Amino acid sequence: MSERTKHRWAMAIDLDRCTGCQACVAACHAENNLPLSDPESAAKGRAVHWIRVDRYYEGEFPEVKVKHMPVLCQQCDEAPCEPVCPVYATYQNAEGLNVQVYNRCVGTRYCGNNCPYSVRFFNWFDPVWPEPLQLQHNPDVSIRMGGVMEKCTFCIQRIKRAENDAKDEKRDVADGEIQPACAQSCPAEAMVFGDLNDPESKVSRMAGSGRSTRLLEELGTKPKVFYLQRGA
Amino acid sequence: MDRRNFFKILSTVSAGAAATSCGTKRDALAPLLVPEHEIVPGVEQWHVAVCRECAAGCGVIARVMEGERTVERNGQKFRERVAAIKKLEGNPLDPVSGGRLCARGQAAVQGLYHPDRVRGPLKRTGARGEAKFAPVAWDEAIAGVVDKLKGRASDVLFLTAPEVSARTASIARFVQAIGAPAARTCSLQQPAGLPRYDLARARYVLGVGADFLGTWASPVYYMRQYGEFRQGRPGVRGHFVQADSRMSLTASNADEWVPIQPGSERAFLAAIGAVLRGENPKQEWLDACGVTEKRVRRIAEELKQSEAPLVIAADTEAALYVNGLLGNFNKPGGVFGVYASLGSAPQKGDVRGARVLLVDAGENPAYLAPGSLANVETIISFSPFLDDTAAQADWILPDHHALESDMAIEQPVSPKRSVAVGTAFVKPLYDTRAVEQTLADVAKKMSVAYAPVTPEEFAKPLLAEGESWEDVVRRGGVQADAQAGELKVPQALQVQPVERSPLVLQTYLSTQYYDGRAANLPWMQELPDPASSAMWDLPVEIDPKTASSLQIASGDRVGVESERGAIEVFAYVHPAAIPGVVSMAIGEGHAHFTRYASGRGANPLTVADAEKPMRVKISRIAGARGELAQFSPQDREQGPWGGR
Ligand code: SF4
Ligand code: SF4
Repeated sequence: MSERTKHRWAMAIDLDRCTGCQACVAACHAENNLPLSDPESAAKGRAVHWIRVDRYYEGEFPEVKVKHMPVLCQQCDEAPCEPVCPVYATYQNAEGLNVQVYNRCVGTRYCGNNCPYSVRFFNWFDPVWPEPLQLQHNPDVSIRMGGVMEKCTFCIQRIKRAENDAKDEKRDVADGEIQPACAQSCPAEAMVFGDLNDPESKVSRMAGSGRSTRLLEELGTKPKVFYLQRGA
Repeated sequence: MDRRNFFKILSTVSAGAAATSCGTKRDALAPLLVPEHEIVPGVEQWHVAVCRECAAGCGVIARVMEGERTVERNGQKFRERVAAIKKLEGNPLDPVSGGRLCARGQAAVQGLYHPDRVRGPLKRTGARGEAKFAPVAWDEAIAGVVDKLKGRASDVLFLTAPEVSARTASIARFVQAIGAPAARTCSLQQPAGLPRYDLARARYVLGVGADFLGTWASPVYYMRQYGEFRQGRPGVRGHFVQADSRMSLTASNADEWVPIQPGSERAFLAAIGAVLRGENPKQEWLDACGVTEKRVRRIAEELKQSEAPLVIAADTEAALYVNGLLGNFNKPGGVFGVYASLGSAPQKGDVRGARVLLVDAGENPAYLAPGSLANVETIISFSPFLDDTAAQADWILPDHHALESDMAIEQPVSPKRSVAVGTAFVKPLYDTRAVEQTLADVAKKMSVAYAPVTPEEFAKPLLAEGESWEDVVRRGGVQADAQAGELKVPQALQVQPVERSPLVLQTYLSTQYYDGRAANLPWMQELPDPASSAMWDLPVEIDPKTASSLQIASGDRVGVESERGAIEVFAYVHPAAIPGVVSMAIGEGHAHFTRYASGRGANPLTVADAEKPMRVKISRIAGARGELAQFSPQDREQGPWGGR
């Protein structure tokens, strides 16, 4: 617990608010310069979505229930992807973020294999954006070339900006000041981002709710994404 | 003075935006149109705009930073620095979006920077439908249009969106000036003039056939309300029942889904209404929707018991009828009337009888009513894309993209009387022209007196004393406190008999593509379909029983045939489909709509009507090739890791 004490970024997703609309998915593409797929690569399972909305059908007609669940990198404290990387391209930073260093990655894809949440993606080829689609690219986010892994970063560029702003103004980052692109767009306000080290933060309070669960918690990954189950 | 060169402080919006996003705070003077020398690498500006991907007209803010594009001059390529839109967010000051956006709204920027935009006026050179065009100068295109309109005013049909906006007002004025009939629409978007449902404060909601969390009326607005309805009130969680002929995105969120037969929405509500009046629901209504009397009685009873019940239905008359029985008007959690409008929205029109068709951007009759253009003599398109209709046009006079345009639109569903306003802040990328300007040019050449309705002129009646237009432009809209209009509540419901046949196909608006207009956006093509998880295509959804009797499995190619036509598509065996009711989303199957959508998938409107399900035959096509791309691990054969 050295440097890690200042912030511990986390997210809470209220599944009772989430409608499965996927605004979060599109927002992530726009913010993070995700490579475009095409029909052929999509059919090969190579489409990249850092966040996806899993949909489960339960039961048989007419008693069918549908569940939606946005799944992104769970930013695990005990991340199974980290120890298997031979070149330390993925590691835990001081604020608990599971970061990916693109120019260190040699593309063994071990991390992707070891991630129980299937949220890591390999760039099989260099990305292509026909002119002038590249005008939309976010200059705060680097473009990934073929041969490297990528995944959700919790919009680290937004975190850094807010932290720098706060530092310049000699204050702490306020609760709610940082919003990853997905959370900012979500019309139902299902996603809340914040600091687990601040017990008063909205995310801390939601993480402590009776409805709070974590995905595949039994694997011991200690994820920092909390799912609030549906119901009162 | 030219307003575009008039520098304005955008501080209100900049500060608001910076607080809710990652922006570096910057209270700089931001010009309405960003000149290149104002663009500092790494520094962002925020500008307001309006989303035009559906009828809702959400207020948005755009993050503008430096971008680079390649331009060609005299055969040489240059890199050019331009002010570019990087990201769209909801405008926090807008009463509809409240700072949020849906997936289609997020993707609108890909339309602006689409590689296949129409870059200048085009004249048809091949046979109709061959989609062969030659670039022409604006003067020639204007002269071409004038030539087609001269002396033909009564044959003209102008198609535009069913909305009240500066655009539709300008078009209304134009058709009047040249003596043509009133403009019409062929769009499937919800027309203006719907009541507003106070979902956030309701306790028990019965939805009937309205996909209000997906594509109906004002998706972002109702999703914001839905979040509050479920978890926004301490100790209160709204209960939600949806009666629907399909497990729509909205139905999939309900606590209870009541499967009803397509077309029986009104019969179902009539049955609920009867119970509320202490009468017996007619057996024919129950038969039509396929719901037991016991269940209808229970739901009606639950509505009656709730402190704040609410019925939201696509059939407005039926919704008002039942809400009337619940005494549910103009109170928290109830139904609110429509505000006085600044104009009237174009009504639905049939293009089949038209001789000279003028088609506004966003209208696509060749796609929405396949075959309807066969006897139209002249087609003039204003589309920024070579879509199905533009491909058949004689002249294409491309409009700017919405994000390059000045606009004002009355928001059809809003807690206030409101108009969203957007002013161009990035230079048009190509040799395009606002439709309003093109119409002015045409009128001038015809020696007809005409001036378009400016956004300012349009929105003026809403401005409060002392409120300046500059303020409105800076905030992205104007809102006025007003009394909502009286609701016309029917005293009884006329229920038409519902035909039932063994296998019917119903169509619906898709979350990704809406009525097909977003199919050209690659982000929407790769957005997994909420029902099937399909990407870059849309399958036909078949229930497990029917599928197994026809020996159809998910991913098979099937033929779907009706008396109207036939298509070939992928099948998706949908665990929640009603037996005998086959569904398919509208969106794919464009003959022409840029490299991302042309010739991809099938258009269900070739087989069935948008409003009415049709009887179909389905058969598996043996030996057909191709693979339905699905994203979700549980839908893919390769297991969770697949090719990643
Ligand atoms: S944007 Fe929000 S409501 Fe929509 S799928 Fe994502 S988390 Fe759910
Ligand atoms: S609901 Fe979505 S598509 Fe419609 S105007 Fe709003 S953001 Fe745009």
